[in-house]
Amino acid sequence: MALISTLLALRKDPRILKLPPYLSALCILVGVAWLLVLPLNEYSRNTYVSENALLPGQVHTYFTGSEHNVFRAYRHEVASLVDMPLEERNQKLVHILRSNKLKAATQSYSYAASGRNISNQNVYAVLQGPRADATEAIVLVASWLTIDGEVNHSGVALLLTLSRYFKRWSLWSKDIIFLISGDSTSGPQAWVDAYHDSHSPDTIESLSIKSGALQGAVAIEYPAGPWGHRFEKLHIIYDGINGQLPNLDLFNTAVSIASGQMGAGCTLQRMWKHDDNYKERLQTMLRGMISQGLGHATGPHSAFIPYHVDAITLQTVGDGWHDEMTLGRTVESLFRSLNNLLEHLHQSFFFYLLLQANRFVSIGTYLPSAMLIAVSFSITSIALWVLSGRPTSIPSPATTAPLKDSKGPTEKETNKTAVTVVEKDKDKSLLPLAALEVTERSLFLPVAFITLSHFLGLFPLYIFNNTTEAFLAPAFYSTAILTATLPFAAAFTLRRFARPTPQESTLIQCFSLLFLGMFLSALATVNFSLSFLVGIFASPLTFVRGLHAASSPSTPVPFTTKNRLALSAVMSVVLAALNPVVVIRAATLYWGRDIVQVLVQAAEGWHVWGLWTQVVVWLVWWPAWFAGSVVVAGGLFS
Amino acid sequence: MLSFLPLLLLNALIPLGSANADYHERLLLRPLPQSAVLASFNFRSNETSTAFEEQNFRYFPRSLGQILQHARTKELHLRFSLGRWDAESWGERPWNGAREGGTGVELWAWIEGQSEEEAFSRWLTLTNALSGLFCASLNFIDATKTIRPVMSFQPEGNHANSSNLHLLHGTLPHEVVCTENLTPFVKLLPCKGKAGISSLLDGHKLFDASWQTMSIDVRPVCAAGGKDCILEMEQTVDMVLDIERSKRPRDNPIPRPLPIEEIACDESKPYNAADSCYPLEDSDGHQAAWNLTEIFGKPLKGACPLTAEEGENAHTVCVNSPPERTIQVNTTGPYLEANLAGDTVRCYKLPTGADFDLVFPSQQMTTGLVLATPPLFAARSINGHGQERGSVQAVIRNPSTSQAVEFVYLESLPWFMKPYLHTLRAHVSSSTENPIKETYYRPAVDRKRGTHLELRMLIPASSTLTLTYDFEKAILRYTEYPPDANRGFDVAPAIIRLITPPSSDGKGTYLRTTSLLLPLPTPDFSMPYNVIILTSTVMALGFGNIFNLLVRRFVGADEVQGTGGLKGMLVAKVARIRGMFGGS
Amino acid sequence: MDQQKAMLFGAAAAVRLLLFTAFPSLPQLLAGRVEVSTPVTSFKRLQEGVFLYTHNVSPYDGGVYHQAPLLLPLFSLLPNPASSPFATNLLFTAVDLLGASALMQIADSGQSVVTRLFKSSRKDLRWSSAAIAATFLFSPFTITTCIARSTSALTNLFILTAMAKASQGASFTFIFAMAMASYLAMHPILLFPPLVLLCYDARTIKSKTAPNPLAFTATHVLGFAAACGGLLGLSALLTGSWEFLAATYGVRLLLPDLTPNVGLWWYFFTEMFDSFREFFLGVFWLHVASYMPGLTIRLRTQPLFVATTLTGIFAVFTPYPSAADASLYLSLVPLFRHLFPLMRYTFLASATILYASFLGPAFYYLWIYAGSGNANFFYAITLVWSLGLSIVVGDSLYAALRDELDVERPELRGKEVKRI
Repeated sequence: MALISTLLALRKDPRILKLPPYLSALCILVGVAWLLVLPLNEYSRNTYVSENALLPGQVHTYFTGSEHNVFRAYRHEVASLVDMPLEERNQKLVHILRSNKLKAATQSYSYAASGRNISNQNVYAVLQGPRADATEAIVLVASWLTIDGEVNHSGVALLLTLSRYFKRWSLWSKDIIFLISGDSTSGPQAWVDAYHDSHSPDTIESLSIKSGALQGAVAIEYPAGPWGHRFEKLHIIYDGINGQLPNLDLFNTAVSIASGQMGAGCTLQRMWKHDDNYKERLQTMLRGMISQGLGHATGPHSAFIPYHVDAITLQTVGDGWHDEMTLGRTVESLFRSLNNLLEHLHQSFFFYLLLQANRFVSIGTYLPSAMLIAVSFSITSIALWVLSGRPTSIPSPATTAPLKDSKGPTEKETNKTAVTVVEKDKDKSLLPLAALEVTERSLFLPVAFITLSHFLGLFPLYIFNNTTEAFLAPAFYSTAILTATLPFAAAFTLRRFARPTPQESTLIQCFSLLFLGMFLSALATVNFSLSFLVGIFASPLTFVRGLHAASSPSTPVPFTTKNRLALSAVMSVVLAALNPVVVIRAATLYWGRDIVQVLVQAAEGWHVWGLWTQVVVWLVWWPAWFAGSVVVAGGLFS
Repeated sequence: MLSFLPLLLLNALIPLGSANADYHERLLLRPLPQSAVLASFNFRSNETSTAFEEQNFRYFPRSLGQILQHARTKELHLRFSLGRWDAESWGERPWNGAREGGTGVELWAWIEGQSEEEAFSRWLTLTNALSGLFCASLNFIDATKTIRPVMSFQPEGNHANSSNLHLLHGTLPHEVVCTENLTPFVKLLPCKGKAGISSLLDGHKLFDASWQTMSIDVRPVCAAGGKDCILEMEQTVDMVLDIERSKRPRDNPIPRPLPIEEIACDESKPYNAADSCYPLEDSDGHQAAWNLTEIFGKPLKGACPLTAEEGENAHTVCVNSPPERTIQVNTTGPYLEANLAGDTVRCYKLPTGADFDLVFPSQQMTTGLVLATPPLFAARSINGHGQERGSVQAVIRNPSTSQAVEFVYLESLPWFMKPYLHTLRAHVSSSTENPIKETYYRPAVDRKRGTHLELRMLIPASSTLTLTYDFEKAILRYTEYPPDANRGFDVAPAIIRLITPPSSDGKGTYLRTTSLLLPLPTPDFSMPYNVIILTSTVMALGFGNIFNLLVRRFVGADEVQGTGGLKGMLVAKVARIRGMFGGS
Repeated sequence: MDQQKAMLFGAAAAVRLLLFTAFPSLPQLLAGRVEVSTPVTSFKRLQEGVFLYTHNVSPYDGGVYHQAPLLLPLFSLLPNPASSPFATNLLFTAVDLLGASALMQIADSGQSVVTRLFKSSRKDLRWSSAAIAATFLFSPFTITTCIARSTSALTNLFILTAMAKASQGASFTFIFAMAMASYLAMHPILLFPPLVLLCYDARTIKSKTAPNPLAFTATHVLGFAAACGGLLGLSALLTGSWEFLAATYGVRLLLPDLTPNVGLWWYFFTEMFDSFREFFLGVFWLHVASYMPGLTIRLRTQPLFVATTLTGIFAVFTPYPSAADASLYLSLVPLFRHLFPLMRYTFLASATILYASFLGPAFYYLWIYAGSGNANFFYAITLVWSLGLSIVVGDSLYAALRDELDVERPELRGKEVKRI
């Protein structure tokens, strides 16, 4: 406590108030630099399996021989189903599953997002494990259409073959659920929602067959047509909705089985060739961060992860010598490992950045970078708070430090002169006037303004999630224009009422930065990447200031006051460039995406997957940007 | 085109032994769809109660008898079960479910006692003794796992003075039933698995079954007027064997893919070729070939000499299948074949001292199996996710188109699963009236007893009843978690007893849902010390600060040595250090 | 003034009822939040208790309902909240408004700045009672408590009423309110001594003559005991047995239900070794109780401030604290506006509390739903929260003492001081 009080005594030192901008800048720089060193060997670790029960690749796999013939037959069957109508196709699939002595059923679902109607049907079957008592289950998913929209011929065929093969084993201690989802993202979502009974029964059919608690899920994507295609590597997709990740043990098990036991290489984040140098590690990590930050569904597995069901997707890529049997045996071995599990996966990491198939950075190592960026906002807000509390001429009565420095003589003088006699009931006493006065912080306007700006964020959120596809583009561009001009309009109107006073504008910025820092640090624990990205784009907000005409003509006129307009204009331009809408558009241009498609997917995410990213953008990032811009624009009109 | 011939139910057939005969055993085989077969063993041994009191046991096992006498247990029911009965494809349960238990171990007994406390202490004695006898952790049935059902169970035996009898019931859903439970079970039999049908009981096959349950029931049976009572002990083993799986030899149990030649391919497919083969589905009515020795892994070693020589009870192996099914008997000794209860039941009197085997060749049947549909279908599951709260949903379906079914639904929940009775909703698909007729509820008390809920409900014909209630999960002390804390805790199956229609025999009609897995929030088991230290630190900060303010008084900074501020502190520190050096 | 008050109350009621009606699922959601409703105040558990009570099952013969028996008949009179929640919502809104008016009475009494034995040198630096009531009515903690319909809102109401009546010197209502509060939540009983002092001072100011201290104390203590005894007896009459004592106060004392909350106890006793459990329970309770005599004696001249500080200590150190307790304390602090200039860690403390109230739900989600974080995440946040609140408590105490010092030794104003 003593130390704190001395530090607080120090805070009255004007030199401290000059420090924060540099401190924030330092935080941001260190945060970014921190991220850049992560790929180095010193800061990343080799992956390892911490759950002993998994024993990856310790079992011999028997999925060969005549099963291959059966697989080919099923693949032809699947190919013959492609042109059939949905109902007929699914009835056929159900028939095959039933003939493999499983309990099979279908589930219809339909979603409506941005004017489109997503309706399709899932097929699923339950293998009741001979050793199981219906308390636990693991899921094998093969969506009818892959993420890229091709028909998942071999994937579905493999699922059917495996269902027939698994049925013969006596050793399953968990039920196995085979799911053929209508599409790659909404179908699994509908199914897993219904499985946990958190669906809306009028649009999504409830499940007629259920089993125990889901312990894990594996999705396979192998779009090779009826004549097959030999693949080179397995591409493992692991990002869940809202950037939540599956337990690292599941990923490690898949990698060690595929590469160790089957000799098929593993790759991730679309890094088709990866020779493990710094550049490619960094690239992998950044791709991972962006996809985590967007938080969209990256595959059939994504829907499972919010329900605390660890899941991954295995995707076949490239031309090589591995055939469907390799994939089949990988899945068999993986399921044998999951079957060994005694507890729900909990040993290994849930927060990690992968640099390569068997190298990762754990949360303890990377979190500081995002936290530093969040802290930089908090530092500035604290500085602004202190600044707003500093009277121009009278020291606040909390000041207990001896008065010194430049303002010294004048202060002493005032202290000498401004004394008054206080009549107490018994005694008289001489008191310095200054002590009786208090620097009131007028909090009303700032608080109201911050609340209002966060409230304003609701409008774009609502609009983008509820307009039909056709009107999305105009909606987007009009929003862009509005948001670009709004700060100036707001600042101008406020200026008409001679508001905000310098102190108020300082407080506005202080609060907005405080909230931003708070949101981001909370977000960093849930979705590190998103917090980091938003933090980077919002970082200039810590350096801009509202410049005001000097209240009293003092000499020498400080630099900032002299070319106030110029500086304000420059800062406004910078901020205008960092308008979230502009940033989004720029990003879509950079990756060559169509903005409408992005918005449509975002809307689908909002309605189907329960995506939060929009909320962060419109209710956290945008208001902070808006407040900052208004404060800056205030400098133009004062 | 198959014609369908309904099979007679055998539950009436089995317990037809008259009271005075002393030991009976019977094996009933019933083919089920999807190449499964139900084998239900039944052993009954009687002891006159006078002999029992005098402790001269003939067929009644001494070990069990003494336990019962010591614990003053008048009627005992013990169940070991594994797996699920698949009612959709296998139809009605054997014994109408009266001889099966929920997953794991289930025990209920009528115990004599002047007061509840006395009865409970005897109950503990009983569970401890039985756990020793059957190598099961029955001794873990403590107060939190024990309930006193009021509607769900009726005594099967005749009890003279039922006033001071107490019914206690306990379950261990997480108990894994295995060979170490079977061995003592077989030891209780007079022929000890050396001869008779019990020689077929083999751990490997029994616990590879798709569903199996072992039961022990002890009850007093008295003739009219309560005279000449006997104590009847009935042991049953029911299992559903997957013929394909069971036929695998023990030395090579791995289901390797068959050579392609041995797989029947569907030639009609256009793509059918050397490298692609659409497996031919076995047409309905096709029966796979099997025989007793194959699927049980052991030969049937002749008759147990203690069974009756004459009469129906002498026929100890019965097959309940359409007469069309050909059965070849393979034995060296003399045997008899008889049709009991119509021509759908063929029974055999075993030869003594010679192996006996029944061979069922592969056959294409013209009559299919018809299985009696069970009176109710029940499924129960946990909805919602997260480790904070959830809701239980039980779906009970009445398939009969004609008659409504009245039943009792019994839930016995662990104390850390806290149901909210005011959220209990029962609704029937066909009508709007509340199906709940009567409710008995005994809420749980933390660490003392579990929740006990019994509902008497009426479900109209051909309609579905959905029962839901919310519950909250408690967080336990870290010493109360099992080693595999993150697996979750098992919740015992719900027990359903039918009131109407009443069962033909006095045993009642039961069915049980599957057990549930309840994941609880877990603390960090590795850091009790850290928690103690950190919490204490925060408290110390608060207390120290306030205490400090309260006991000390203020003086001006300039009235004491060392000016304030960082500089002052530094100066003071330097001075102290210098002083130390000066001192040394 | 009255018009202003009417507008204020109208607005507050409107906000609450609007939230109730606009988001019908919000009450259930908040009632399930561990930060707002604890095992001893949760509305869902109350519903369960009422259900059992109306179905003639003793709610206390179970592990769910741990709240006062008198609530049962009260809420069984109301229509079932599941089907027609309006009456219940109205009740809780009214409770908040009454509490606010009590707070205004406290503010109007001026006991916070000028007591019989003490006159702050900054007495002119005050907020209007309306402003203080506004901080209470519109504080997000109060609103969430009201929407969650947690019964601690009632406790807060009675504590505020007791303070108001004490500061007016109205003995009977004071004793009744005090007894109700202690009956509902047990720990408010610690507020009795300072409030008796407050009542004594107020009475002296009202009737210019000081009543006999001993007689005054004796009558009030006896009256308080009688009132508590009456309430307990009535409860026993209602439930037909005394087993409710173990199920309500026993639970508060022995902490069998370790459901997480914002306090310091639950995780401590989750991780505590069984052999030491009772010992530490004793120590913790002793710790909570130990503040009362010290503060009362040291700050004899400002009993209202003592009571306020005690509510702050309850919000941190009691076994089942929630946001409701914090809301009570944080809405009482503005009464001492004149101390703000002397407080040193205002921004630090408020930022800590804000951070905690954002990070808490996030970490709880990570632990319970996402499963990606473990219990330590949420536990760490409860530590931060408690630390923030205890900083406010300590800092305000410092300010109060400093303020006293300024009266005793005016020459030290604005000077650096030391504690020796």
